[in-house]
Amino acid sequence: MSSENEKDGQPSETAAESPEDARSLSKDEAKKFYEEKGIDFSPDAPVNPRPIPQFEKSLSDKIASKFGSKASVDYVRSNRIRISTKKEDVSDVAYFIRDELGYDHAESVSGVDYPDSKEIEVVYHLGSYTDEKLANQVLTLATRVPREEIPNPGKDSSRMTSLREVFYSVEFHERECFEMFGVYFEGHPDNRRLLLPEDWADIPPFRKDFKIKGR
Amino acid sequence: MSTIAPQFRLSRFVASLFDIIFWVILIFSLVGLPIVFIVLFYIKMPVINGQMLTPYLALTWMADPSRTLPIIKTLIHTTFFHVLAFPGFGFAALLAAATIFVERKFLAKIQLRVGPLYCGKVEGILQLMGDGLKLISKEIIIPAKADKPIFWVGPLLFVGTAGAFVSLIPVARGWVVANPAVGLLAVFATIGFFPIISVLTAWAANNKWTFIGGLRALHQMIAFEIPLILSLLSIVIMTGTLNLSQIAESQQHYWWIVFAPISAIVFFICILAELERIPFDLPEAESEIVAGWLTEFSGMMYGLIQLGTYLKLYAFAGLFTVLFLGGWNGPMVWPPFPADIVTQGITIGPITAKIAGLPLFDQDMLNGTLWFVIKTVGVILLILLPRGVFPRIRIDMLLHTGWYKLIGLAFINIFIALGLLYAGILGPGGLIQ
Amino acid sequence: MTTQLPPGIKLETVDDRIMTLNVGPQHPGSGHMRLIIKVDGDYIVSCDPDPGYVHRGEEKMAEYRNYIQNVPHLERPVIHDSSNILYPYCLAVEELLGIEVPERAKYIRVIAAELNRCIYILYWLAIYGIFLGHSTMFMWPAGDRELFIDLLEAMSGARVTHAYLVPGGVRNDLPANFEERCLRQVDYLEKRLKEYLAVFYKNPILISRTEGTGILSRTDAIRLGTTGSVLRASGVNFDIRKKEPYDVYENLDFETVVMKEGDSYARSYVPYLEMFESCRIIRDAIRKMPKSGSVRTKLKPNPKGGNDEVYKRVESGRGALGYYIVSNNRPEPYRVKISVGSFRNLICMPYLLKGELLGNMPAVYWSLNYWPVEADR
Repeated sequence: MSSENEKDGQPSETAAESPEDARSLSKDEAKKFYEEKGIDFSPDAPVNPRPIPQFEKSLSDKIASKFGSKASVDYVRSNRIRISTKKEDVSDVAYFIRDELGYDHAESVSGVDYPDSKEIEVVYHLGSYTDEKLANQVLTLATRVPREEIPNPGKDSSRMTSLREVFYSVEFHERECFEMFGVYFEGHPDNRRLLLPEDWADIPPFRKDFKIKGR
Repeated sequence: MSTIAPQFRLSRFVASLFDIIFWVILIFSLVGLPIVFIVLFYIKMPVINGQMLTPYLALTWMADPSRTLPIIKTLIHTTFFHVLAFPGFGFAALLAAATIFVERKFLAKIQLRVGPLYCGKVEGILQLMGDGLKLISKEIIIPAKADKPIFWVGPLLFVGTAGAFVSLIPVARGWVVANPAVGLLAVFATIGFFPIISVLTAWAANNKWTFIGGLRALHQMIAFEIPLILSLLSIVIMTGTLNLSQIAESQQHYWWIVFAPISAIVFFICILAELERIPFDLPEAESEIVAGWLTEFSGMMYGLIQLGTYLKLYAFAGLFTVLFLGGWNGPMVWPPFPADIVTQGITIGPITAKIAGLPLFDQDMLNGTLWFVIKTVGVILLILLPRGVFPRIRIDMLLHTGWYKLIGLAFINIFIALGLLYAGILGPGGLIQ
Repeated sequence: MTTQLPPGIKLETVDDRIMTLNVGPQHPGSGHMRLIIKVDGDYIVSCDPDPGYVHRGEEKMAEYRNYIQNVPHLERPVIHDSSNILYPYCLAVEELLGIEVPERAKYIRVIAAELNRCIYILYWLAIYGIFLGHSTMFMWPAGDRELFIDLLEAMSGARVTHAYLVPGGVRNDLPANFEERCLRQVDYLEKRLKEYLAVFYKNPILISRTEGTGILSRTDAIRLGTTGSVLRASGVNFDIRKKEPYDVYENLDFETVVMKEGDSYARSYVPYLEMFESCRIIRDAIRKMPKSGSVRTKLKPNPKGGNDEVYKRVESGRGALGYYIVSNNRPEPYRVKISVGSFRNLICMPYLLKGELLGNMPAVYWSLNYWPVEADR
């Protein structure tokens, strides 16, 4: 694991030991351990509660009132809202976001692999060019699809509805997500590989169980 | 680091040298000399200055310029020399190479670079020679599915056709390899071969890029050959001859560019297109079709194509000079050959050498060549330098330019020429004669 | 066909009129990617971009290194714009770790980012020139780029891969007399840029070649989710530096360049005009910058992000560049996703090239401000 210190040239002994040691200690011991070394370092430092901005709150309230329990608002911060839905409802929510709220394009589609909960999260970052008020907003729409231990991309249960009908701009992003995580997007017209070579014969490489060499 | 072999002995080395010299002399006298004599027995030796040229005489003449010069003079007037060296191939290649060097340095200055710098110590003067050597030493790769005979013969045909074109250009009065009465028609016939060669080699290489490039070359050359011919028609109307030497001769007092400026412009644009120079380098457009119809050529095959291109460049520039810029005509600036040397000979100490055969070239010819070279180099630079300012044109714009604009422009000057002819200003019996 | 084909490879039957061309990856006009182009005569029937030849898995690599170790390798996708590609990463990590950046460092970052934007645009312009067969336009920007490379070398010590921006500020302070030198070189660049106008942008052949080719309408630009100069050339006034200002961009004086035409010419002209705005920003930033002060907030060793996620974006030379970082109480990020402008603009390529002449392919392709290495990551 990462045993390098940060770049400003301190002797790396303290930091090299600390995370490894800290993991084996209990919380109080760890705190004591750090205090002895003179480092203020605690994993769960209190995060300053951020004020909830009004405009973003009004947007998230619209979604919450429309979909109720179908879509949950994970957080509302300045310029950022995160909504997560079930994969069955993602298309409806996306249509609502596009037509009623005015978001018109996707900035990225990311997959996040959670092997512990046997799920892959697909995260859409949506933005708006047409609405001046929404220009600084990025709405994060997340949904989770089941994850297979032995993936068979395109043929197993890791699949969800494509949002290409809603946001045309997700076309290449979803192709990338398909090859990198094995999430099949139903209704996508062109579910081929994009970045990986045609003869790639391993599991989708961005899954957590694909280990890179030398680490 | 090389080291001397451990068994090396100087005495053995010297002995081996003597050994080699002995064997060379022996074989030469036993085999070489009889062969020379047998050959000389059957070959009729030329008679020069009333003497028959025997080998012994030839050996003495090597040291005697008064006897060597007539031989050289005879040689100069043979067709062999014309074709190979002076008005033909060698002269053209040398002139083109020199111009290309100048152009490279000039273009580099435009683009804030230094250009060739190291090869040859003085401003990279040997760079072109180095490039040539590199091309010669490279491997020639033939695509596996190519039509090999045609692929092989393509570059040779290209150089051959370019050489044929060069041979039609008169450099000075009487100095031209081939001087047919219909010289201009011969030029048209010769340049008509180039698109065929392009398409043949492009097809033979069996590659998509060469195919597209060959088709582009075909389109381009055919689209520009018609305005090229039409633009020269006005010259033919005004001079009443198709012979290039006579056309050059007819411009003693004024150049045809004065009466046919539109033709000159049209012809110049057509030259750019025929030579595939920027902005008309579509058949070799790098970012679109790799290298066009030259994609599969490598090593000296590519070198031959380049040589042919440069010969073609020289020939077109020479043609422009002959047709529009007065050819070899110009004020007499070459100093006359000192008459004393011819009449009295050169006095070196006690010896007075009277060298027969001087001067080697007459003053008129040297002056004509000088003016021709100056004008041609100017035209070549004009052809090459658009590289510095223009991007590449697109195929539809190119064809539109060729078929619509240039043909129309060429016709304008034909009517001007006809008007001048019928108004009695030019032509036989005209005011300006 | 009796021969057994390898799995995953299919034979395709096409019309005899149609010729399939593989433009790339060894084609001089393709960059590090392949375009599978079908042509009917000289017209492009369809275009299928095939990136991935320089895919290096930067996102996967980032999951195995801690937040500080990630700095030098995350700039590798666009070494010509390395400050801008590190910028959102630094912003994201700062938000994740709750770090405040000193005021002077913010200005220095902006200067570095704008210098790097100019370097990138000049490099891009050089290649645009040679794609159109204009060799002078290849040499001039490639040479003038050296000015700013020298500046960044003085700032960071490296000519191309600076790794100058780090979470918490910048790596080191500006060298002595930097402001003076920087202003001088900015003045010189502006003088040179005006000469580009004469030799390139006002060239009649260039105008007739690029005007009206590859037109992307405003609606389509929005629908396809394009970004950067492609979007602004289609008449959408969107620049993250204005719309969602990060660091000190809100204090600085500059305009967003917008053109309405949406053709290749506009797409190539917008970055050129943006260089003038970058020069303005650099001048303004140097004027408003605090003359002394700290340039970096020291981080704790091996900092851990909370159980959180963050999405930060900046305006790079190629458009919006966003980092989506998921962290799970560990020194390494759980997932890093780089949303790059090149990848987002790639979607225009099949759309714009369809129906174009083959001769327009380089003009349209490179006007998309597309950097294959960045798109692959």
